[in-house]
Amino acid sequence: MTTMPNDDWFTCLSRCQAVVPCGSGQHVVRWEAGALELDNHADPEAERVLAALGGGKARCVEVAEAWTRHAADLTVLLVGPRGPDGIVVGWEDVDAADAYGAGPGPMGAGRLKPGAVRRPSTMLAAAMARASAQRSQLLQEHAEARQRRTDLLSLLALGPAFQVRLAGQVVAAHASLLGEPDEQGRSRRPALTAALEGRLALVAERWIGIDPDYVKASLHAGPGWGSAELTGRGEQRRLQVSLPADWVARVWACGLALVGRHLVVAVDRAGWPDARVLALPAPGAEPVLLGVHARPDPAAGPGEGNTAGDGPHWEI
Amino acid sequence: MNREGAETYLRLLAEAAMRRALAASPGQRLAGSADPGGHRTRLKLVGQALATVGALDFGTLGDILVDFNLAMAVRAASDPGRGPGQALATSLALHGQPVHQLPMTWGVRLGLGRAEVTGPVSPGAGPARPTGPTGPERETGPDDADRFVPVGLKVPFRDADVTGELFLMSFTRTRAGARFFAVWNIRAPALRDVSLIPFGQFTVADDRGARYGLEFAPSGDSGWTSEVVLCPAPPPDARWLDVTAPGSAAVRVGLGAPDAGGTGNALVSKTETSPGEHLLATIGERLLTAVPDQPRNPWRQATAVAPPALRHMAAGLGDIVGALEAADVLSPLSPVPARLATLCASLGIAEHGIMAPPARQLPEPWLSVLSHYQRRKPEPVPLLDGYAAMTAALPELDGIGLTLLGLHHSEGGSSLYVLARGQLPEAFLGPFGIDPTFPLSVWLRDSGGRWHAARPAERRRSGSRDAEPTMRLQLVPPLTRATPWAEVLAGGQTAEVRTRLPLRWGYPS
Repeated sequence: MTTMPNDDWFTCLSRCQAVVPCGSGQHVVRWEAGALELDNHADPEAERVLAALGGGKARCVEVAEAWTRHAADLTVLLVGPRGPDGIVVGWEDVDAADAYGAGPGPMGAGRLKPGAVRRPSTMLAAAMARASAQRSQLLQEHAEARQRRTDLLSLLALGPAFQVRLAGQVVAAHASLLGEPDEQGRSRRPALTAALEGRLALVAERWIGIDPDYVKASLHAGPGWGSAELTGRGEQRRLQVSLPADWVARVWACGLALVGRHLVVAVDRAGWPDARVLALPAPGAEPVLLGVHARPDPAAGPGEGNTAGDGPHWEI
Repeated sequence: MNREGAETYLRLLAEAAMRRALAASPGQRLAGSADPGGHRTRLKLVGQALATVGALDFGTLGDILVDFNLAMAVRAASDPGRGPGQALATSLALHGQPVHQLPMTWGVRLGLGRAEVTGPVSPGAGPARPTGPTGPERETGPDDADRFVPVGLKVPFRDADVTGELFLMSFTRTRAGARFFAVWNIRAPALRDVSLIPFGQFTVADDRGARYGLEFAPSGDSGWTSEVVLCPAPPPDARWLDVTAPGSAAVRVGLGAPDAGGTGNALVSKTETSPGEHLLATIGERLLTAVPDQPRNPWRQATAVAPPALRHMAAGLGDIVGALEAADVLSPLSPVPARLATLCASLGIAEHGIMAPPARQLPEPWLSVLSHYQRRKPEPVPLLDGYAAMTAALPELDGIGLTLLGLHHSEGGSSLYVLARGQLPEAFLGPFGIDPTFPLSVWLRDSGGRWHAARPAERRRSGSRDAEPTMRLQLVPPLTRATPWAEVLAGGQTAEVRTRLPLRWGYPS
């Protein structure tokens, strides 16, 4: 019934936007069709060049760069949201956290006073050189870790709509490459399996009331949508689900995971605000095709669909 | 080995841990605990176990732990009751330690948690006063056979300020050099100040009249055990050495036949343990040796349960078993988890999480130590401070060759000293404080049939002998009598070796 979709993973997602404090103003950052747009910065590339020459970098530009850096970063999946409510991080939080990590460095850089150093012996000089190299490496890694943390917090501060879209982006970047190691030579499967189970478990809890700890997920490969089997009774209930890795992108990130008490296992015909999905009314049941319609969230703000708020609300 | 399975298990555990931690009430999370429910501790413990058996690299483990902490921090900062701005910084301080403090990779890279001491210690910390040459001058020829000789002789010394004796336990001559392993004792003055020892007045000469420089390096945290390095190393066919101390006649140390390897009567037998079983057995020994010994005051109640920190960690044992199975380094049919469950029950650790039903039988050494704890009676006559010469080079196990150097009993504690050679990288702390770089299990059985676990307590490298550190293994429980012989059992993953050795005890005058 279903085939591997050729359309983009985000076809069931509307555009969204967030307001970012940038310089002395409040700027709009927009996501549309898989890309991040900076409405208040006509030429971000020119701003990057200016920043490289010593000028300050606009926060909007920093956010766009962070998005690019982490659009295929599997670690985003561990930090990011598990549900449509997302994680609440404010820009003041980002600033405070950035200041928290801006100390003199793990080894207390800059604490050595000039003039306090005597001429060292050969052995001592070698030991000092080793320590210095070690310290430089440490400082560099510390700076990289701090940059990464600030990146992730900035992306979370964009709000739940951006958070789920970023997760979808990351999963989509890796889902078709399961058999190949990532750029660091590691398997992609562990992070994708955990991303699937961590999100599916909470959906299954709302679907059939099962304890999330008793939901086991695996990555489905091959034809068809996968499988879902419920075993045991009472406290012995266990739900074993096998779904394609891109379920997180195509279904969960689009807010389609649970529609009308059905677990959506695949998107049959993608679209916004109307789509057709393959969904399970119950574990072990045959999946059914459902036509679904996205309803804008009244709390989400103005514009098409949910342009400022959390994920769309789909109904049969 | 299934590395993908190992990483998947750990990541799924992180998902479950986050879910459970967030399911706790905000009040609990706001209470200030950095690790409500102990989820982060457990995650790290399981990761360390997987890294110890080689199923997970430290880089991946570090990444997972850092991301988990950040994930927890941003969620905790969203708790109602926390103000904006400082909330996340506060949460990071609690959940996401500064990045240089957390991951194993940093710890390993910087040598954090190393149990190792390198080079001479500060004056006053022990008899350390290097006086001889260092480097290649010490080393022996590449084709020379190793020589290990039990000595068991006292060398008294006396000058205007101090009297005492140097007890020579053993002599070793290996590729890295020649040295005695010894214990110092000061009789007078009453204030036992190690700086009073006239190190520079000791001399050593061989049967041909050649004289040797001496280098004294501390070995052991008591400060009174010491390596006495001979520079250069005596020739392989030297028959004896005369050790002369100030104020006394020379003491002659026979070196035995030139080809004396001192390998003893070691019996080697193969074992068929998987890496996971070996790790679990090591964890079991760690639990056994963490129980406080009988108090020296007989009126005080003995403690027969594991300390709270270990009980806390033991709560993750079930997850460790699951992780090792996921990594295909532990069979689901293995009997070792069941033994661990029985051990936990015997130590009063109720919540260990191991699903296997307890085993009916435990290894004999484990039972021996458990029965010691459960006797709850201190020995009526404690063992006097003393030292015993015992020397044997054990066959190599898992790439590590151990040479027994001697026993030392002091202030109620007993230690077995060994020379370790082979594949022994820098130490670091693994799960339960285990040093994964020393994957051997060492036990000692005394003449009364009691077993004593020999737990790695200290490792010391010195100069050119980097490949041959000496190690102090703390005996748990300590010896209670001057056993005339000891059986030493050393176990690796693929084989174990047993040897029985006579002991020559000496006591301070």
